[in-house]
Amino acid sequence: MSDEEHQFESKADAGASKTYPQQAGTIRKNGYIVIKNRPCKVVEVSTSKTGKHGHAKCHFVAIDIFNGKKLEDIVPSSHNCDVPHVNRVDYQLIDISEDGFVSLLTDNGNTKDDLRLPSDEALLTQIKDGFGEGKDLVVSVMAAMGEEQICALKDVGPK
Amino acid sequence: MMQQQPHGVAPDLAQLQSTMHAIELACSSIQMHTNSAAAEATLLSLNQSTRPYKLCQFILDNSQVANARFQAASAIRDAAMREWSSLTGDDKKGLIGFCLCYVMQRASSPEGYVQAKVSSVAAQLMKRGWLEFTVAEKETFLHQVNQAIIGIHGIDVQFSGINFLESLVSEFSPSTSSAMGLPREFHEQCRKSLELHYLKTFYCWAKDAAVSVSARISESGTKVPEVKVCTGSLRLMLQILNWEFQPNVTSAKAGINVFSPGVRSDLTASKRSDCNVAQPGAAWRDALISSGHVGWIVSFYAALREKFSTGRYWLDCPVAVSARKLIVQFCSLAGTVFLSGDEHMQQNHLLQLLSGIIHWIDPPDAIAQAIESGRSESEVLDGCRALLAIATVVNPILFDHLLKSIRPFGTLTLLSNLMSEVIKVQMTKRSDDETWSWEARDILLDTWTALLMPVDTSAGNTMLPLDGINAAANLFALIAESELKSASASALDEDDGDDYLQASISSMDERLISYALIGRAAVNVTIPLLTRLFSERVALLHQGRGIMDPTPTLEELYSLLLIIGHILADEPEGETPLIPNSIQSDFADTVETQNHPVVILSVSIIKFAEQSLNPEMRAAVFSPRLMEAVIWFLARWSCTYLLSEEIGESDLHLLQNSRKTLLSFFGEYNQGKSILDIIVRVSVTTLLSYPGEKNLQALTCFQLLHALVRRRHICSSLVLLDSWRALARAFTNEEALFLLNSVNQRSLAQTLVLSASGIKNSESANQYVRDLMGHATKYLIELSNKSDLKIISQRPDVILPLSCLLERLRGAARASEPRTQRALCEMGFSIMTPVLVLLEVYKNESTVIYMLLKCVVDWVDGQIAYLESRETAAVVEFSIRLLQLYSSHNIGKISISLSSNLISEANTEKYKDLRALLQLLSSFCSKDLVDFSLDSDESQSTNIAQVVYLGMHIVNPLISLELLKYPKLCHDVSSNNFIQKHIDVLASLKLISSFIWQYFALLSHMLEVYPETVGRLDSEAFLHVLGTLDFGLHHQDTEIVNMCLRSLKALAAYHYKETTSGNLGLGSHATPVKDPRGDMQDGVLSRFLRLLLQLLLFEDYSPDLVSPAADALFPLILCEQGLYQKLANELIERQVNPSFKSRLSSAFHMVTNANQLSCNLDRMNYQRFRKNVNAFLVEVRGFLRTV
Repeated sequence: MSDEEHQFESKADAGASKTYPQQAGTIRKNGYIVIKNRPCKVVEVSTSKTGKHGHAKCHFVAIDIFNGKKLEDIVPSSHNCDVPHVNRVDYQLIDISEDGFVSLLTDNGNTKDDLRLPSDEALLTQIKDGFGEGKDLVVSVMAAMGEEQICALKDVGPK
Repeated sequence: MMQQQPHGVAPDLAQLQSTMHAIELACSSIQMHTNSAAAEATLLSLNQSTRPYKLCQFILDNSQVANARFQAASAIRDAAMREWSSLTGDDKKGLIGFCLCYVMQRASSPEGYVQAKVSSVAAQLMKRGWLEFTVAEKETFLHQVNQAIIGIHGIDVQFSGINFLESLVSEFSPSTSSAMGLPREFHEQCRKSLELHYLKTFYCWAKDAAVSVSARISESGTKVPEVKVCTGSLRLMLQILNWEFQPNVTSAKAGINVFSPGVRSDLTASKRSDCNVAQPGAAWRDALISSGHVGWIVSFYAALREKFSTGRYWLDCPVAVSARKLIVQFCSLAGTVFLSGDEHMQQNHLLQLLSGIIHWIDPPDAIAQAIESGRSESEVLDGCRALLAIATVVNPILFDHLLKSIRPFGTLTLLSNLMSEVIKVQMTKRSDDETWSWEARDILLDTWTALLMPVDTSAGNTMLPLDGINAAANLFALIAESELKSASASALDEDDGDDYLQASISSMDERLISYALIGRAAVNVTIPLLTRLFSERVALLHQGRGIMDPTPTLEELYSLLLIIGHILADEPEGETPLIPNSIQSDFADTVETQNHPVVILSVSIIKFAEQSLNPEMRAAVFSPRLMEAVIWFLARWSCTYLLSEEIGESDLHLLQNSRKTLLSFFGEYNQGKSILDIIVRVSVTTLLSYPGEKNLQALTCFQLLHALVRRRHICSSLVLLDSWRALARAFTNEEALFLLNSVNQRSLAQTLVLSASGIKNSESANQYVRDLMGHATKYLIELSNKSDLKIISQRPDVILPLSCLLERLRGAARASEPRTQRALCEMGFSIMTPVLVLLEVYKNESTVIYMLLKCVVDWVDGQIAYLESRETAAVVEFSIRLLQLYSSHNIGKISISLSSNLISEANTEKYKDLRALLQLLSSFCSKDLVDFSLDSDESQSTNIAQVVYLGMHIVNPLISLELLKYPKLCHDVSSNNFIQKHIDVLASLKLISSFIWQYFALLSHMLEVYPETVGRLDSEAFLHVLGTLDFGLHHQDTEIVNMCLRSLKALAAYHYKETTSGNLGLGSHATPVKDPRGDMQDGVLSRFLRLLLQLLLFEDYSPDLVSPAADALFPLILCEQGLYQKLANELIERQVNPSFKSRLSSAFHMVTNANQLSCNLDRMNYQRFRKNVNAFLVEVRGFLRTV
């Protein structure tokens, strides 16, 4: 484990562990994996051998779930990889501020105001318009390894 | 710019000149790449103009620009095809005559491509009119061609004539003809007519032309112009011999009497080979056999070969190549062209050919040497092809015998020597680039396969003569040596890429099958040889442990196991393979079981496999790859030999000696059970002790264990074994087994549940399944009841065991069988509530959602047929809740990600989910077709049709029309694994098309089987269904259009039948309604009638769709006769040309009146109507689409 990761751990919320070890051979396409300390979603797994009569190794191509960057890793099949704990919570959208921050209603009745809307222009307009028309919007927030991001949006009908 | 010339008015010369210049200018500017858009438009307008014949002929006659002449020829073709039905007979003949004269008169023109184009235009026009021209008219054209080919107008004209016939034959041959927008029937009639009346004549013309110039060529050398004619003629003859002759063309009842003796010689009927067997039939005997023509071609080639023996280039000259190809094709002549009682006729024919061919391939060593030092290999390759052709048409005895009259050895010996030489060349040069030796080896292997492949398994094995057997044995020894050598040489290569498994086993398979055939031809020698090679390698491993690198030996063992597996047993293709014939019979004199060569070999391999149970040995010797070969071998071997069912103690004496020995030795009362035990223990080892070796584990699960439980009597032995019980226990509690990947997990669960069929008592069988799967249902129930489920559910250490157990449940659900149905049914009911809870909790975790859905789909699919009505109702209720839940989570949801890759993954997952939901609904449909439930209480039974429509109504809002299109696939080219990317793209295309297919299949099934329910749908649901049909009718995929047409037919037929008997039918859906703006909207049937007519008359579609479209059109017309008349009249009125007008109106009349069509929707009427529509389309589609 690198020092860097320990730093990460210390910053993290108390309680839940950020990552779990899991045998490389069991990680499949569309599963999660930590590569270079980033939580990623696997888009491609291939296996090969170290020499004809060697052991299997897995080649992962994965996408960072927050910044969309592509990362790759090769791990012997029987070794462990880190798998991030990716948590998703739904909140009701209560407000959108001028600077793009959103106000979300949590389960216990508080508000959560530290998240930005996605930067995609078309999507942003759609959300703002929908919100303006009084549609009831629910926002899914994905959290892993101390980071958070809005990952989905759902129209649950008029208010 | 292109002026339309009114028919019959001569355009003036100046105008023709100026247009010609415009075309010439366009052609040259395209070549110069200047202003090419405008130039292309000019050429396009030429192609599309009406009756451009005068102009085109003028250009062909006068233009100095070759390209302009080419374009003019092509415009004639396009215009004539388009306007054919409006041209007069004289116009048509005039055009053909013009083209023919043109090629003859300008035969010496240097621009060959223009000549070839005009020639092919003539051929196409001739075919277009073939069925309308009289015999005399055709004779006139052909007489002209014949004159040319005879050679009275000189060499160039002679060549042009042959060239024209080549175009003509290729235009008439089904595989090379141009479509011309005409139905298949037309092409078929033309083909038949040419084959019956002209093909042989053409052949003789070509033959005479070749003979007439041959003397001059042999006298003076290849440089003379006659060579061109000779090459052309030989090519035409080859083309005609390659014609796909239809058997029985001479029989009056063509196509009916399939069993008539003349169809095919029994020898060639079932032989597998790439070689194209020529069977022209008895009518060709005089031309091909009796005329001594074969002798001529053989000696002609020999004479030229002699003459040019010094010039190496000559072997690859066109004339030499054509002559050789023709000789090879003659070798494959078979069937009634030879007198059926006279065997010598074919033998003499082949002998004559072989005596020429022998010089190309004998002596093999000298020839191989010559090629290695620079001689062309094409002749020896053709020699190999000739051997293949001969092997395809005669049996091995005759094959061997042929050569004996001219050489002291048989053909088999020559074949063996030739192939040995080829393999030696390969062994000396280990390079990856394909050299001649690779090609020669493949052709010769095919030859062996053609000779040795059993034609019919019941007829015993193919016997070779004694020296043939020796030849095979020698060759096999060399093959084994060469394979081992290349194995050890490649052992240390870095093996990369994930299609490694295929590369190692499957792609080698074909070659191994041929090797096995050769090996089996001499089992007495080859099996002891393989035993020796195998034990030598094993001994070497033991001696060398810890001293030397075992890898080369491991790779040799790997190859050996594959070769031995192929020789000892056949591929189990869904059925239990028998012991190969030669192994059954050729060891007849071996009495002592322990000394039977097959027993020795098998036992030594099984003992070797058993050593893998020892951890030390496993670490030192049994690499994952070697283990793969071991598992593969055990799977293949055990299907044939292990615990064979056919053998009870009592009927042993009935079996052949060798077979009896083998089956009883490996049978229930001898070694069978202990070998089965070893196999199970070895399998458990690969599952537990090779962590992460997915390929090895997949082989174990799918090939080995799955094959074992497929046989019930093996299951009865399996369930009694301690090792199998241990596997079942490990399955429920051994952590290592939770780490198998998902497909293997599923397969293992399925296998274990299936083995319950070996338990005699039904209650114990069900208990066994409960014990096996109890851990999984318990986990699901406990998990779903946890109070902190929401918090822990997304932890990886919860998701991993959950996914694993879902895969197991799915695997078990797939093992549905009557005996264990009770236990599996309970299993499903017990997880229904947990599934719904988990569906809610994991709504954002698409991988888990998909597993939950698939688990339900497979369970319902396996159980639905058995469920009682009360249970069915419960399952239906559960499924509908599941659909509603899924829908409420996903409708209106937008995924957001910075990565386009992740977005497209999310899309793919959506397709997979929806496909699963549709599969669920489809399995409900099957309940009405297959129902094993015992209760007959109709009152409680669920109305399946309503359920499925309700389900579709829930799912439909999730399926936009956008989803039903094939998407434009843009993909990330920068990916460093380009091939993998392509595979992914193909996989996602496959997924999408299977989804679309599933959707339309379900829809058309519902409309066909339950049209009455559609009538009761509310108008929104009904409109969605129709919108989808409308969309489907224009889909690219013919199969989908076909399904939509079937649905339409069912809807319209239902409505017609109901309304004629005084019922409502589709009711208000079929009557015109006012849309919100107050305009009258057609009822649905009217709308589809318009749509279908439009499609049939004006759009492009596959000819296969004409019949289903006619089937849908017929009831539509009956329902909406008024509208149909109106549409027909509108179309007729739109025609300006009076002759078109009258043709169209009589064609419309014929559609509904010809062939005694009546208003009944019965089979007979549908047939008649199909016929009418076909005729109608041939008659009018041509001009309707252009005017």
